[in-house]
Amino acid sequence: MKLKDRLVSYSKKRGFSFQTFFFESLKTIMAVLIAYLIAIIIILIVSDKPSESIYWFVVGPFSNMMEFGELIKKAIPLMFAGIAACVIVKANQFNLFTEGAFYVGGLVAALIAIYIKLPAVLAVIAALVGGGLVAAIFGYIPAKLKSSLNVNEFVSSIMLNFIVLWIGVYLISNVVIDDASGDTATQIIPEVSKLKILFSGTNISYGLLIVVGIVILVKIFFSKTLPGYEIKMTGDNENFAKYSGINVQRRVVMAQTLGIFIAGVGGATEILSNYHRFNWKTLPGYGFDGFMVTIIAKNKPLFVPLAALFIGYLRAGADLMAFNSDVAQEVVAIIQGVIILLIASERFFSSSFFKRLLDNYKERRDAQRMDVMKNE
Amino acid sequence: MKDIRKVYYPDIVAINNATFSLAEGEIHALAGENGAGKTTLMKILFGLEKADKGEIYFNSELINIHSPVDAMKRRIGMVHQHFMLLENLTIADNIVLGIEPKRKGLYDYKKACEITRELGTKFDMVIDPEKRISQLTVGLKQKVEIMKVLARDARIIILDEPTAVLTPQETKELFHQLMLLKKDNYTIIIITHKLREIKEICDRVTIMKAGNIVGTYDVDKISIDEISKKMVGYDFEVSKLKSNVKPGKIILDIKGLSLTIGGKKRLDNISFSIREKEILGVVGVEGNGQKELSQVLNGEIKNYDGDIVLDDFSLKGESILEIRKAGISYIPEDRMVDGANLNGSIYESAIVLKSKEKEYQNGIFLNGRKLEEFTDSLINDYGVKCNSKYDDVKSLSGGNIQKIVSAREIVDARRVLIANQPTRGIDIGAVMTLHEKLKSLQSQDKGILLISSDLKEIYDLAESVIVLYDGKVVARINNIKDVNEEQLGRYMLGIDVQENMGASL
Repeated sequence: MKLKDRLVSYSKKRGFSFQTFFFESLKTIMAVLIAYLIAIIIILIVSDKPSESIYWFVVGPFSNMMEFGELIKKAIPLMFAGIAACVIVKANQFNLFTEGAFYVGGLVAALIAIYIKLPAVLAVIAALVGGGLVAAIFGYIPAKLKSSLNVNEFVSSIMLNFIVLWIGVYLISNVVIDDASGDTATQIIPEVSKLKILFSGTNISYGLLIVVGIVILVKIFFSKTLPGYEIKMTGDNENFAKYSGINVQRRVVMAQTLGIFIAGVGGATEILSNYHRFNWKTLPGYGFDGFMVTIIAKNKPLFVPLAALFIGYLRAGADLMAFNSDVAQEVVAIIQGVIILLIASERFFSSSFFKRLLDNYKERRDAQRMDVMKNE
Repeated sequence: MKDIRKVYYPDIVAINNATFSLAEGEIHALAGENGAGKTTLMKILFGLEKADKGEIYFNSELINIHSPVDAMKRRIGMVHQHFMLLENLTIADNIVLGIEPKRKGLYDYKKACEITRELGTKFDMVIDPEKRISQLTVGLKQKVEIMKVLARDARIIILDEPTAVLTPQETKELFHQLMLLKKDNYTIIIITHKLREIKEICDRVTIMKAGNIVGTYDVDKISIDEISKKMVGYDFEVSKLKSNVKPGKIILDIKGLSLTIGGKKRLDNISFSIREKEILGVVGVEGNGQKELSQVLNGEIKNYDGDIVLDDFSLKGESILEIRKAGISYIPEDRMVDGANLNGSIYESAIVLKSKEKEYQNGIFLNGRKLEEFTDSLINDYGVKCNSKYDDVKSLSGGNIQKIVSAREIVDARRVLIANQPTRGIDIGAVMTLHEKLKSLQSQDKGILLISSDLKEIYDLAESVIVLYDGKVVARINNIKDVNEEQLGRYMLGIDVQENMGASL
């Protein structure tokens, strides 16, 4: 009881309301449950062996270490993309070049790994940072266009995605192509540059540590440094920032470039962890996913890994179901869509609805207690 | 209205337990500090908010008001503090919006104009129904709002702080019209915290404090002092603040400022100076150059003619940041949009200036402990009512938000403070705190430019005053005691121009 009192008084001091937190969590949980309910109904309709399909979809990712590792592996690029989008959205910007950044970051990391010979750890760092930096240089373009000429970064960044994609496809099919691969792909990435497996028996690479490190750094950046604080103020209320003497333009460019850099490192991590050669001929899609992740995480850096894990779980389960049961891949995609739609729109659920439920419960409980006391 | 209770999610009690009654044909004032629950109570009556508890009786019949539609059925209308007019339509369009007269199924604009004119003559308002709202003055817009309510056949009219944006003359006019309505047996509720207005036209006054009704009184039988005591709970003495400081040398010298936007001269050859220990009031009807003047002085607008000189250094063309660094701080007119970050915590809005100073940093990090101490000291010094410095700014009342904004700027003012409407729409307690703080700033060799539409505030604080009309300085009064409110009003409306200013017109 004492501990509870102390927790309550501490949280009051920090402006944190357990009640609000409770309702917010309840909302998210309800959204997830409803979404899964709808998913199960769809499976019941389309599957001849629904129990098996549902088993693979819901429990499959936890059935053994290998599958659980697969879940984490799927979540890592989502964490990168999510935290990248989080930084950008904090400044109230929507630079979708996180998508192209994944591509550029992966390509540049592969090229650095193949063509620049460096000793062990340095080779990895050079590839990761190089991938991030080249992506950031591209990402700077829509950011600067926004701040200087007020060009909508949403549109220009989507266009830029295709420019870098086709530059990349041109390069891997004409300039840096390895004819021995039998594919349009680069040469084999040397072992020395690759990110090793973190836990044996799984496919989880050291990329997990990198992204967790970045999430923590982003959290510190926003809560403890001046640029982070100013980016948040600019995103929250640009007028307030401007009148307080914050260089709004600079902060807007900074947030976008930084987010794109992180996405570039994410692309590099993905290639160095899971690929032998760079052979992407389409955009990977992670950049767009990142915005979804950060929306689910309410744009709080520390929630981003959780949101990414959830999407990773969803996708791992869906893959297992598609592989092991008679539910078609397309239906799996529909189910994913439904779930994500519901989660992302959980704001439709009003908190006051749950609050009223709780109030009713409390009133009834108090009345009962009163009755008990009277009887005594 | 009986036993009304309203709680905002999750646990902010706006109205604790309020019982309020209204007699037909009276002008009833609803007075109280900001955050006392006046507007909320009226919004419940008008159906914009739902009470969590309590009942509303209309002619001793229990009624339910779920929405403004229900309220209008009972012939209750409300004029909001912030006008809700369609700027691009004409007066007539706005007045009949939603109840358009029809002819052969089509909108009958001529009829709409007729209705408008009729309403106008009935209430002694000269009004051109075909004028667009965007061309009207604030005073006229308000009249359109009132006529809108009348056109809907309301018998009970709620006015939310109607005089906040009006000049003395416009206020007088409004009161005249309200009296006419009263004669026609309309019932009027005025939400206000201007005590003299209560005395002037109201029959009864209901005083609210912290979500509770203190009481309802006949205006004849209660003095201004008693009302103010009941509102804030302590004695409020008028004009006690005026000190006898002798202004020192000139700090800020404004030389021939001119600014043209969209072909219209917004500022026209404005020159004045502020001395150390001087509070210089700037008065004028809204839209006569105050906004542009503050935008030029704070660095938002740079392409002006003329010069701004601070302690012999020209600030022409400097950025907002550079001007702040030079020692000019600025309380923006709109605290909700420009002054504070409503999406963040009190702490975040409080530290925005200090966070740039080396003293409040630790290498690349912000010195959280020092910044927290700083925020606490602001909260304590200004008596900001909150649970903690991490509360959301949007959970505070207007007065408390303004305290935070002003505290931050006053502490930061090294040479000059520009205060644009620092106490508009906030409660007496907060006004007193801010006035005291402005006075204490004055005694520290600093200059204050006080742009205000509240003449009482100008009289309470300022030594000297300039009057803006149509972008020009039409009067400069070095000792404010030399001019009465009536005369100031004449300058503000451009009826009179001070003799020695005649050359510039």
